[in-house]
Amino acid sequence: MSKPSFTERNLQILFPLPAIIFVALLMIFPILYTLFLSFTNWNLTSGNPFTFVGFNSYFRIFTEPRFLNAVARTFAFTFFAVVIEGVLGVAIAVILNRAFFGKSLAKLLLLLPLVATPVAVGIVFNLFYDPTIGLANFVLQSIGLPQGLWVSNAATVIPSLILVDVWQWTPMITLIVLAGLAGLSEEPIEAARVDGASEWQILRLVTLPMVMPVILTAVILRLIDALKTFDIIFAMTGGGPGYASETLNIMGFKYSFEYFRMGQSSVILVVLFCVVFGCSLGIMKLRAASEI
Amino acid sequence: MQNKKVLSNVLFYVMVVAIALIVLFPFLWMLSSSFKTQVDIISWPPKFFFAPTLQNYQKVFGEQDFLKYFMNSTIIGVFSVGLSLLLGLPAAYTIARFTQTRLAVFILLARLMPGISFLMPWYIVFSRLNLMDSYVALILSHMLIALPIVVWIMSTYFATIPREMEESAMVDGATRQYAFLKIILPLSGPGIITATTLSFIFSWNNFMFSQVLSMEKTKTLPIAVYNFVSYAEVDWGGVMAAAVAIMAPAIVLTMIFQKYVVKGLTMGAVKG
Amino acid sequence: MRKLLIGFVAALYCLSMGAIAQTKEIRVLLANHPYGDLLKSAIPEFESATGIKVNFESLQEGQLTTKLTTEFATKSSSVDVFMTRPLQEGKMFYKNGWYEPISGYDFADYPKNVMSVASFGPKAYIVPLVTEWQVLYYRKDVFRDAGIKVPTNFTELEAAAKKVNSDSLAGFASRGKGAAAVTQLSSYVYNYGGLYLDKGVAVFNTKAAVDAIRFYGKMLGDYGPKGVTSMSWENIMPLFQAGKVAMWTDASVFYGEIIDPAKTQVAAENVGIANFPAGPKMNSPFIVTSWGMAIAKQSKNKELAMKFLVWATSKELAAKGMASNITMARSSVWEDKAILAKTNPGLVETRAYAAKHGNPLDRPYMSAVGEARDLIGELVIESINTKGTSTNLDKMAKDKVAQVNEMLQDTGEYGK
Repeated sequence: MSKPSFTERNLQILFPLPAIIFVALLMIFPILYTLFLSFTNWNLTSGNPFTFVGFNSYFRIFTEPRFLNAVARTFAFTFFAVVIEGVLGVAIAVILNRAFFGKSLAKLLLLLPLVATPVAVGIVFNLFYDPTIGLANFVLQSIGLPQGLWVSNAATVIPSLILVDVWQWTPMITLIVLAGLAGLSEEPIEAARVDGASEWQILRLVTLPMVMPVILTAVILRLIDALKTFDIIFAMTGGGPGYASETLNIMGFKYSFEYFRMGQSSVILVVLFCVVFGCSLGIMKLRAASEI
Repeated sequence: MQNKKVLSNVLFYVMVVAIALIVLFPFLWMLSSSFKTQVDIISWPPKFFFAPTLQNYQKVFGEQDFLKYFMNSTIIGVFSVGLSLLLGLPAAYTIARFTQTRLAVFILLARLMPGISFLMPWYIVFSRLNLMDSYVALILSHMLIALPIVVWIMSTYFATIPREMEESAMVDGATRQYAFLKIILPLSGPGIITATTLSFIFSWNNFMFSQVLSMEKTKTLPIAVYNFVSYAEVDWGGVMAAAVAIMAPAIVLTMIFQKYVVKGLTMGAVKG
Repeated sequence: MRKLLIGFVAALYCLSMGAIAQTKEIRVLLANHPYGDLLKSAIPEFESATGIKVNFESLQEGQLTTKLTTEFATKSSSVDVFMTRPLQEGKMFYKNGWYEPISGYDFADYPKNVMSVASFGPKAYIVPLVTEWQVLYYRKDVFRDAGIKVPTNFTELEAAAKKVNSDSLAGFASRGKGAAAVTQLSSYVYNYGGLYLDKGVAVFNTKAAVDAIRFYGKMLGDYGPKGVTSMSWENIMPLFQAGKVAMWTDASVFYGEIIDPAKTQVAAENVGIANFPAGPKMNSPFIVTSWGMAIAKQSKNKELAMKFLVWATSKELAAKGMASNITMARSSVWEDKAILAKTNPGLVETRAYAAKHGNPLDRPYMSAVGEARDLIGELVIESINTKGTSTNLDKMAKDKVAQVNEMLQDTGEYGK
């Protein structure tokens, strides 16, 4: 065998190199730019050039109730959305995990919400939620329940938005978990059945622990996107009423493009990035632990 | 016993149908609203039976230059996905074969960044390079969406192909790059279709990047839809028709490649 | 593989070359506004008459500001001419030096108070396009059935709302969505004898201003449509069109829409338009320049840009605008009998009143207006949620005034 060529010897660097360069080129400048701005007081409304303020903007924003609320809201939205999607998604997957007539059609239907354009989904749900002409209240009225204000009320806006998120993303968890269930080996399950375990016990003690890594992977994917949810909130409420649905991402956008406080907005975005990064890291650790 | 089984079967199908209805409902609502006049849409109680009209679609495809936006979204989607495959396939291959976890995480970083933080910096760069009035800026930005998907899906796909496939060829004197091109890639059709479809759909649906980086010549569909909510009227019917028009291609693609899309979504999670 | 690559690169190259500049070309950003639409359809005439190619783009107002700011702030804009909102972004754009001063333009046709927001110091930077003022829309049939007259002051307004309010009909509507409500609230504040800013100092915590905010909150809390705290005009208009609102105070621009039979369930003869009702102190509704047009400072084609600007703000096009119910800023079109004959008398009458007695501002006129509106918006929402009875409102108003004053100091506008 001849001596491997240069290309072959360095394949593991050369092959991914274009992708690395591309990602680096597109990301490095924005990352540095955002970090840089977060240490300045650049504010377009003043019309003055910026000066460096060190960590002042960080200190300042962490004392602002509006920001702290946005942080809490981001976590609350993400937590409830991801937990509901996780539980419902797994439950539906367990229900559908058998051969039945129309299974592939059911899978196709489950795919549709997650390919639907979020901006358009938001607009459709806005019509649906409209307190006066929307179908949601008509349904409540028809079954004799009091009508709701949905996204028009500070108390119900986050649950209403979570409902949209749940509608759109539960199917993804279901599909992923379904595939995980299909790939499980039957032996441990059969063994438990022979030992006289009930179906519920088998599910709880055998099946679910086995698919846990799959569930957690699905959860990571959802978590990253839920923390950064933008399109749906932007199209449906723009963060309102008041600031009642303002998450970090929406707040960052408003500070950039409505208040033009670029420095402060960069601080918000840096915090958001840290939150997303920290959360995904945490779950990845959890996942690694569950695989052992 | 027999009765119980029938009952549980009935219960099962009831549940399946209920799930299907919940999933489908917003689509049906959107579709039916798109055939309503404004007067019908805003009437209470909501009208379930109405004289359908095509005026919303005529508006979408006539007054608004939707075909152009449609073409723009297509061009941007095709090129960003194509280029992402070009860059992503080799990277995914080495990630799979040399377990380059750090590299995988680095590329996934692109997904963790808040999109807003890209907007101003990219604008600075792309306009300095005189790329703003062309598709290039949008294609590059959408590649940042498509590339992580390609890498994520393909690296797990490559990992499912036994190493013996290329190793036997390499024993026969073929180089690894040759083996990748001639042996591994031809085996990866299903994975590539999956990655292509999914990343195309995500590019198609992107709102934030296009909002700032697109200009009139390159405006994409989601921006055009949002634009419908214009200054002096809320044209619900038009918006619904536009929403149907924007979702239709993604849905048709999904239907055609259903098998692969499901696989791709799940593969990264199940085997990875 | 290699062929594919070459094909790709070649195609990319072609795509980027599609943008090669012609010699006489300008880039124009328009708003999704009826006048923007009118310009769009008239641009081909301009192009064939002058040989200048116009690359235009039209955007929803928020997106327009986002885009302009991004382009200007990164010093990388290729925009030559753009539509702009003088009260919303004028001060900020001016301070950052994004507007080109306009010289050699005949501004004689624009009223003085209109020009006051289009110029800074001795120079003019914006050519006013569209004017709007606050009016009261009402349902003639509902009033007739209830046997009441059109309210002319706030007491009558409340009495009328109370009388016609029912489960299926909101007695009164106006914007309740925080920041969006600030412009519509302004006339209430003025009529109570208050102001948002007085000589560069925030004063919306005076008794008059807080009373106005309470009244506004009471009206919407008691008689407003469901979910009004998340409603801007785009939510209220469909309700009015569906016959679910008896009275609605908002800008005059929506009149054309609510009497358009294709869009409304309420017959046009049942829709009334009236002067904004008087408050305890005066009757001075806002009458503002909602849109203007400006040339970008960094434009490299200023001569061509000026040519376009002169054409786009011409009397001829203003007359066309009037014919399609767009209320133009030029005085002459409101004096031209031939034009007025085709204009809706309701608009002519309410404008005449507002032009004489109105206030040229409908929001805190400052460069950080976006943030200030959100702060005042908090007061509006608090007031609506408590039907005007909030015990917290005075304190909140004081806090918000302090915050707005701080912003004014930050931007060097305090006391000016």
